[in-house]
Amino acid sequence: MIRIRDFHKRFHAGSINEVYPLRGINLHVRPGDFVTVIGTNGSGKSTLLNAIAGAFPPDSGTIEIDGEDVSGKKDFQRAKHIARVFQNPFVGTAPEMSIAENLHMAHLRGKKKLLRLGLGLEQRERLREEVRQLEMQMENRLENMMGTLSGGQRQAITLLMAVVAGPKVLLLDEHTAALDPKSAAQVIALTKRFVQNGGFTTLMVTHSMQQALELGNRTIMMHQGQIIEDISSEEKRRCTVEDLLDKFSELRKKERLTAEMLERLRRSY
Amino acid sequence: MELWVGAIILGFLYAFLTLGSFLTFRVLHFPDITVDGSLTAGAATSAVLIAAGWNPFLTLGLAFLAGAAAGSVTAAINTRIKIDGLLAGILVMTGLYSVNLHLMGRSNISLINHTTFVSCLEKINPGLPAEIWLLVCLVPIMALFWIAASLFFKTDLGISMTATGNNPTMAAAAGVNVERMKIFGISLANGLTGLSGAVVAQYQGFADVGMGIGTVVTGLASVIIGETIFPLRSIYAKIFSAILGSVVFRLMIALALSAGLNPIDLKLLTAVFVLGALVLPGTFAKWPKARAAFAGFPRSATNLRRIRIALPGVAIAVLVLWSAVHFSQHGVIGTKICRIGIVQISDHAMLNTTRESFLKEMNVQGYLEGKNCAFLYRNAHSDTATINNILDDFLRQDVSLVVAISTPCTQAAINRIKDRPVLFATVADPFVIGAGKSDTEHKPNVTGVYGAVPMDVLLEKVRATLPGAVRIGCIWDPSQINAVVNVEDFRKAVERHPELTFVGTAVSGTSEVYQGVLSLVQRGVDVMVLPPDNVIYSAFESVVKAAKPRKIPIFITDVERIQDGALAALGYDYTSSGIQAAHLAERILKGEDPGRIPFQKYSHLTFALNTEVARELGVKFPPAIVSSATRIYGDKSAPCLGGLQASTEKAPSPGRVRRLALFHFTDSETVMRAVKGFMDELEKGDFLRRHAVKVDRISAQNDWNLAQAIARDIVRKKYDFVVTLSTPTLQMMVRTNREIPAVFGMVSDPYSLGAAKTPRDHPANLTGVATSPPVESALKIMRELFPKARKIGMVWNPSEACSEASMHRARKAAPAYGFELVEATAGSTGEVLDAVKSLAAKGIDLFFTSNDNTISLAVGSVAAFLHQQRIPYFSNTPVHVEQGAFLAIGADYEEVGKETGRMTREVVSGKSPKTIPILEFVPERVYINRGLANEYGVKLPQPLAEHATFIKR
Ligand SMILES: Nc1ncnc2c1ncn2[C@@H]1O[C@H](COP(=O)(O)OP(=O)(O)O)[C@@H](O)[C@H]1O
Ligand SMILES: [Mg+2]
Repeated sequence: MIRIRDFHKRFHAGSINEVYPLRGINLHVRPGDFVTVIGTNGSGKSTLLNAIAGAFPPDSGTIEIDGEDVSGKKDFQRAKHIARVFQNPFVGTAPEMSIAENLHMAHLRGKKKLLRLGLGLEQRERLREEVRQLEMQMENRLENMMGTLSGGQRQAITLLMAVVAGPKVLLLDEHTAALDPKSAAQVIALTKRFVQNGGFTTLMVTHSMQQALELGNRTIMMHQGQIIEDISSEEKRRCTVEDLLDKFSELRKKERLTAEMLERLRRSY
Repeated sequence: MELWVGAIILGFLYAFLTLGSFLTFRVLHFPDITVDGSLTAGAATSAVLIAAGWNPFLTLGLAFLAGAAAGSVTAAINTRIKIDGLLAGILVMTGLYSVNLHLMGRSNISLINHTTFVSCLEKINPGLPAEIWLLVCLVPIMALFWIAASLFFKTDLGISMTATGNNPTMAAAAGVNVERMKIFGISLANGLTGLSGAVVAQYQGFADVGMGIGTVVTGLASVIIGETIFPLRSIYAKIFSAILGSVVFRLMIALALSAGLNPIDLKLLTAVFVLGALVLPGTFAKWPKARAAFAGFPRSATNLRRIRIALPGVAIAVLVLWSAVHFSQHGVIGTKICRIGIVQISDHAMLNTTRESFLKEMNVQGYLEGKNCAFLYRNAHSDTATINNILDDFLRQDVSLVVAISTPCTQAAINRIKDRPVLFATVADPFVIGAGKSDTEHKPNVTGVYGAVPMDVLLEKVRATLPGAVRIGCIWDPSQINAVVNVEDFRKAVERHPELTFVGTAVSGTSEVYQGVLSLVQRGVDVMVLPPDNVIYSAFESVVKAAKPRKIPIFITDVERIQDGALAALGYDYTSSGIQAAHLAERILKGEDPGRIPFQKYSHLTFALNTEVARELGVKFPPAIVSSATRIYGDKSAPCLGGLQASTEKAPSPGRVRRLALFHFTDSETVMRAVKGFMDELEKGDFLRRHAVKVDRISAQNDWNLAQAIARDIVRKKYDFVVTLSTPTLQMMVRTNREIPAVFGMVSDPYSLGAAKTPRDHPANLTGVATSPPVESALKIMRELFPKARKIGMVWNPSEACSEASMHRARKAAPAYGFELVEATAGSTGEVLDAVKSLAAKGIDLFFTSNDNTISLAVGSVAAFLHQQRIPYFSNTPVHVEQGAFLAIGADYEEVGKETGRMTREVVSGKSPKTIPILEFVPERVYINRGLANEYGVKLPQPLAEHATFIKR
């Protein structure tokens, strides 16, 4: 479904601000794969997802989605196939628009935006049913402004918006990191259910090793712009959080990570 | 009533703009400044097309497109080149100023005599007052607009646009091309703005290049007012509140004006209001929360709600109360005394002078403020939109007369006010703004006084002061319509003198004046001449600053500024124009129909000299200049005046000095030539001194009233001799003077005037020189040059006496030279070309015109047409040759002046006029366009070739 070949990306090339977040990514994700992505801060996880979504073109390398080379296509051109949920619950929805309008926008993904009154009674009924699936009692608040909802509610709607139009690829970037534990659990449960039912090819960045191992059928680990580990589903069953942390320790040895940094890592995972 | 109805209509017309502002500011969150330019672009497009004869409704579509195009440029600069939205807007708005000016071709286009959507609607008026009917028509249109706009925001496209503005990341994720959507939205908003510009221009009857200034704030203020009144979230409510806000904004301005608020504060108030409306909701939102936290109150969202609804409620209540009070007040006063509304565009000195002298003269005439009369004086402070509000206020206060001082005020007044008299003053040209076709044929409720500074006379002053080859620098702002006209006149006048060079530069805005003058200095000008131009005079100090170091003298047309560093100033005496206007006002208030009062030209010129500047520059004024000055600024006995001014004030020399009044009507070039010939003749051999005669030259400055007054004055002062040059001054003198020996000159036919019966049968105290246009000589030359020609075409205006007289003579003489005369008449300048074409169709060989003012105004186009048809154009007026005619045979007026002088010498020497017969004297002079002569293959006979003046063109 996704095939990335030798993908390189530099920002501000040549200036003192130069960063080099993707240094030769090779990745093949099969249809229906649910891949969790872990890695140190700044290792390029978000940038990888941005690259797939089309936020910027590659410096070199190619990217294919569903067999089509989309390297030269912009984000709104790829939007037909790709849905995303971000860490910040404010990014995925328009606060001054109603829940219904936000969801309607999700349904318009990849369609022509015409002078058509698409948000009629029928469509509203359909949206109500969809919101009911969230089991968060929001189905009767369709006309409420998005901005009046809590972070968890917004993120749930965002997730719903991501899946309603049936994307080929679903990109989740630490989408529960900003939520309180209870909401996070709710959203993770929803994620599991939606992906299972929809069979979307999914990439999910997470900072929880536990989550990374529990969810999905494959885990990749990123470091300094490269994929350094690719753990298949069988391996995952055997793997523990400790094993993953050991892998980071190994990295420390290899790349002479300071003890302090390692300590920070341990604390954060 | 009109004030409020007018405000609502304006509010409706500006509602498109308000919706555009709603779209950019509220939906797209893009602060768009382009609207200042796109409003004008829409107005300009519509006005230009309507003037070209398009259907006014059709032009609305194109005005929309013009605005949209402007918006798309801003949006493209912002999204594609990634330049900040505000800056992009400023760039496009600035550039649009030039584009709009180019589009319009001048700064102001009048739509008074064209079909507009307003006049179309008026045609189907079932009999309501015009304004009410317009409002009735606009209400359903606005309702439709409201529903259509609301529905738009409910479509997929509308929702996507809202999402784009609200959260571009989310919109892009939903597959919206955010950049393109932004461009589309901003174009749409500016298109609506252009539409507003177009309908407003059609409603107010003109488009002006400056009408867009402040549009951003207007739009934003309207949106915010609407939101304050109607803080609801449904899109229907939002659009409704935008339209409502637009109307309420206009009503607030109307209210402020009717409450007597100085319009100068209007802009500031608007800005403060917008700021307040922007800040207050935020403050309110924080404040109750803070209080709630303090006092342990429960959630006070309802409190906040109450305040937000109460605030506009109070505002509306105050509004209603205020207007109720005002209605009742004016209802009482309105019936008792006569009210006169005076509106003036700005605080320009000449306008103030006009107003003050008007008021003073009204007082003299017995109109006393507070007793029997109320003068409502309003100043629009250079904002054309405000004029309409002021006029509406006048209507509401039911004034009996509107006095419009300045061109923009007049323009607005003649369009806005139909049911009561409008009197204008200090207007350069009332015809271009559609006040009428001629002095007598004009709008039924409009009359006034007008006139422009004669640039050719100013040039004569320059030449007299600085003789020889001179490079004349001229600077102007092309957005000033009168400046452009005057500069053109001036340039033409300069080009008539080969030794003079015209060096000009155009600038836009006061800030460029200094550099503009420096560039002229660089190009080596010897003198600066400033035509009337508000922009340049606002920056007059810059002109002086740039010209002074090089000792370049400055001649100006605004006498009020002589003390600021000009050498000399020739301009109107705006005091007398105010007085003239007051006299007209009295006639109107006494019940005379303004439609029957001809427009009056005010033309009392003042000529001022600045001796201090003369000393600094080392200029010495020649006697002719000093004696023609009406005002001297600085030391009156300064050496640069040559002691002349001083000596005239001293006691006369022993023995009785006899006085001769030299009385002429205009200061035109031809008259000046005659004056020169006359004076040369009298000064020959020290004649004047020997006979102890002093000549007082008096000009009526092209003003009939003034001429009348001067004639009476001459008789009262018991002059010893009177010499008149020109027909009108002779007419005036004949009626009043029965005793003083008088000589006339420059008169074509004294007999038809009733001044004499035959050359020998004339009043005992009167004789003179008659100079008729050489019609017969013209026919003779035609025969000589074109032996084979048979048919002569001639166009004449039956309502012009001179034209008719020439016609009769031509009719009589034509057969003698073997010509057949083919005639056509033209009642107005507009018909001239068609008349000429009809003659061409009849196969004329030659074309001839004599002494006809109507044709004189269309010479250029007639000449061009005839040239194309290869029909030689003959005339009796020399300047026609410069304008493209082939040959003119006219009188040499310097010779006429000399001849009049000779006859005057006889009279001064003691001969009775009774014994001197009237002399027919036509010193013919031939002017030929050499290029055309070659083209027509004309062989000029020897004597003609030697004596003719050749004019290249
Ligand atoms: N659009 C961009 N412009 C400049 N630098 C970027 C951009 N996107 C990412 N980076 C940089 O690339 C590096 C990788 O970032 P990111 O992919 O967000 O890391 P993470 O793995 O924590 O999600 C960071 O140093 C970040 O600053
Ligand atoms: Mg990240």
